[in-house]
Amino acid sequence: MAKIEKRRIAVTGIGMVTPVGNTAAETWAGLLAGKNGAAPTQSFDASGFSTTFSAEVKGFDAESAVPNRKLLKYASRSHRFALAAAAEALSDAGIAPTEADSHRWGLAVGAGMLSVGYEDLTVLHDHAAPDGEFNADGLIDPDFPGNVVNFCRWQANAGQALLTKQFGIRGYATSVHTACASGGQAIGTALKVMRRGQCDYMLAGGFDSMINPTGISGFCLLGALSTDNDNPTGASRPFDATRNGFVLGEGAGFLVLEDWDKATARGATIYAELAGDGNSLSCYRITDSPPDGNGPIQAIEQALGDAGITAAEIDYVNAHGTSTQMNDRSECAALKAVFAGRIDEVRVSSTKSSMGHLIAAAGAVEAAVCCLAIRDSLAPMNANYENPDPDCDVNLITGAPQPMRIRAALSNSLGFGGSNSSLVFRNPEEVQP
Amino acid sequence: MKHAGEKIVFTGSGIVCGAGTSVAEVWARLEKGETAVAPFTQFDRTNWPVKVAAEVLQDNRFLVSDRKLHKTISRTDMFGIYATESAIEDSGLPAYREGLGEAETDAFNDRTGLIVGSGGGNYRSNYDYLPLMTAAKAAPEGELPHFGRELGNQVTPLWLLKNLPNNVLCHVGIRGQHKGTNACITNQCSSGVLAVAEGASAIWNNEADRIAAVGHDSPFEPEMVYYYHQLGLMSGEAPRPFDAERNGTVFGEGSAAVVLEREADAKARGAKVLGEFLGFGCCSEATGILDLEPDGDGVKRAIEAALADAGITTDQVGLICAHGNGNQASDLTESMGIRNVFGDDIPPVTAFKWAYGHLIAASGVADLVMVLEVLKRGVIPGIATLGEVDPLIAPFPISREAATPRSDIALLICRGFGGMNVVLVVRGAS
Repeated sequence: MAKIEKRRIAVTGIGMVTPVGNTAAETWAGLLAGKNGAAPTQSFDASGFSTTFSAEVKGFDAESAVPNRKLLKYASRSHRFALAAAAEALSDAGIAPTEADSHRWGLAVGAGMLSVGYEDLTVLHDHAAPDGEFNADGLIDPDFPGNVVNFCRWQANAGQALLTKQFGIRGYATSVHTACASGGQAIGTALKVMRRGQCDYMLAGGFDSMINPTGISGFCLLGALSTDNDNPTGASRPFDATRNGFVLGEGAGFLVLEDWDKATARGATIYAELAGDGNSLSCYRITDSPPDGNGPIQAIEQALGDAGITAAEIDYVNAHGTSTQMNDRSECAALKAVFAGRIDEVRVSSTKSSMGHLIAAAGAVEAAVCCLAIRDSLAPMNANYENPDPDCDVNLITGAPQPMRIRAALSNSLGFGGSNSSLVFRNPEEVQP
Repeated sequence: MKHAGEKIVFTGSGIVCGAGTSVAEVWARLEKGETAVAPFTQFDRTNWPVKVAAEVLQDNRFLVSDRKLHKTISRTDMFGIYATESAIEDSGLPAYREGLGEAETDAFNDRTGLIVGSGGGNYRSNYDYLPLMTAAKAAPEGELPHFGRELGNQVTPLWLLKNLPNNVLCHVGIRGQHKGTNACITNQCSSGVLAVAEGASAIWNNEADRIAAVGHDSPFEPEMVYYYHQLGLMSGEAPRPFDAERNGTVFGEGSAAVVLEREADAKARGAKVLGEFLGFGCCSEATGILDLEPDGDGVKRAIEAALADAGITTDQVGLICAHGNGNQASDLTESMGIRNVFGDDIPPVTAFKWAYGHLIAASGVADLVMVLEVLKRGVIPGIATLGEVDPLIAPFPISREAATPRSDIALLICRGFGGMNVVLVVRGAS
């Protein structure tokens, strides 16, 4: 098959709302300073749950962070994070859709929790199931306070709809959900859409907030969360031998992606080249990644191939590193298989150690972190690491951020359901004109 | 033509909906003018203002025989698994794979992708929490503390797994070892058609050699019926697309899937070809969750983008399969978008929701599977529910009577919440 000349895509804007900061700058500073987002859960009484802490976004004021306040009526908590982070990314890039080019702008999002929240479930319970048994006639009772605005909020593409309306994005638009791989896959989707010429600019990212009684219940039932209730800030310790589950976070991350030549022509600041996307399905178990790394290996290799580079050019890996036994072992096996003899030269960290696991937003936020690490030649650390695990003997950045020039960075996201997403970001200095 | 030389063909299809569990069954109902919309049975309809839907009444174990698997999937997943595996079986790929050696099989699996369009969340699954909520409200320790403490005793540990929006991807993958590129698109009604479009694009982009693309949904739930009714989107009878007296849509449930490959690969393995994927367009109206542009501009732009992507002109289109959901504003603006592209020379138009209801995330793929059948047979079934075409829409070449496509190329329109318009262009099997 003929070699396809790939269109080059630049990252020119970043926005984040995370448990360690309500902007990209705050998040980055927080990560470098060793700030930890985990604390006893404040947004509801979690005292009875097996995990009583989480990594919540703190002091977030949607009214001031979101440009079009009228949309807030329809926006869930995660939509609010998304609207704020996307606005920040566009403002950072210094561009926005105009009447003339709005059809050349696209949107791809990893959409978070697609289930109704506890408050709405309470309304349903009180009217249609007061005794616990669901009776559909409760809904058509004249007293049922069903509210179509709430209904709209829980539609699968509601966040996408609010974002396209907020910014006037009239080209390709989509939402994806592959659990924890969603954010990475959304950015990968955007890369493909731009390369095939359907858009010249895209807003790509992810948003999620599952820190509510129904959201957290699913993870508690599964036993996936760390139960270190007496030590929230030490609970997320990816690759540590004593790791015992992830810490649930929330937030949003967005990138502005732009045709490289257009970005260069307008003198934009380019954080990195979004150089490659890799995407595989483990086909192993619904919650576990295979111990030998089969699945993640293919995603990483595809991403490298797509970027047109070899494993020898990756200097930093922002690992999925959830702090669960199975994930971290599988991911390290994959890294060792791909980097082979160079494994000790590649520096690795999971920023979930500081921010917790942002689920559908994780891949997007971590992609943004890779871009900032490339810009500052400074890689964030893997916090809370004390006890080596022989299965996870990769070269972790511990104790403090690592000053290092990064030629290219790899961001991994491995989701429940077996989807693996890998993204490669290249230092703009490495890009030959 | 940007994709010149690299033809992508459909080599398998599968469907499950109220009208049947195979393409042949659904076609037979369409041809006879029989709608599957009927009084629903899944909850007591006596007092409900809407009493009909196109339900799948087939036994669960017929659709997915693995008893254990039913414990970790929801109703929509069952449809999705069935349709995807039917399409893959129909393509002949499993038999082809069996003839490969071990290393070839690994490579084959790594280059086989799955792209799923999923409805996303559902309401039904939350009913699992209702008994616990009743107990929690009466608990002396307080509602949430009790809820949290008793959770593990009252609700299945598999709750989250049962409700993952990407379950079809996961389970079809595990069962068939399809390990290549993948996605789960949760773009409401546009999910399924976008899965097909992204599937074709993945092959064009050399990310995979073959893709199974599926849309699945089970929107027929009490909350969905209630809220759609509140919004004025729900009819009490089978939808009448573009009709003067149309009054809304009706839910169906189910799934449809196709298998896509390079034409050269299909030929090499002697596969039957159901049609060719020519191109697509996708655009947002940027109008929020429910609103539509009053002039159908998004429909127009998506059609134009799809025609340009396919490298064809309006006069080459032999048939339009419209979204035609039976809603006032949607059908009117859709017809305006079509007219603004085709002028007075609109090819025959049809829409299938009258027959199997609105499958939401699966609707576009179900329509695609039936469009391929229409092109193969050269017959467009009449729309049995059509009375008089809306004077605001007429003249519009839509009919109660069967018609003939004017070429072997069809244009398929799918619209969705969020101001979404996705248009596919396909060619039928010659």
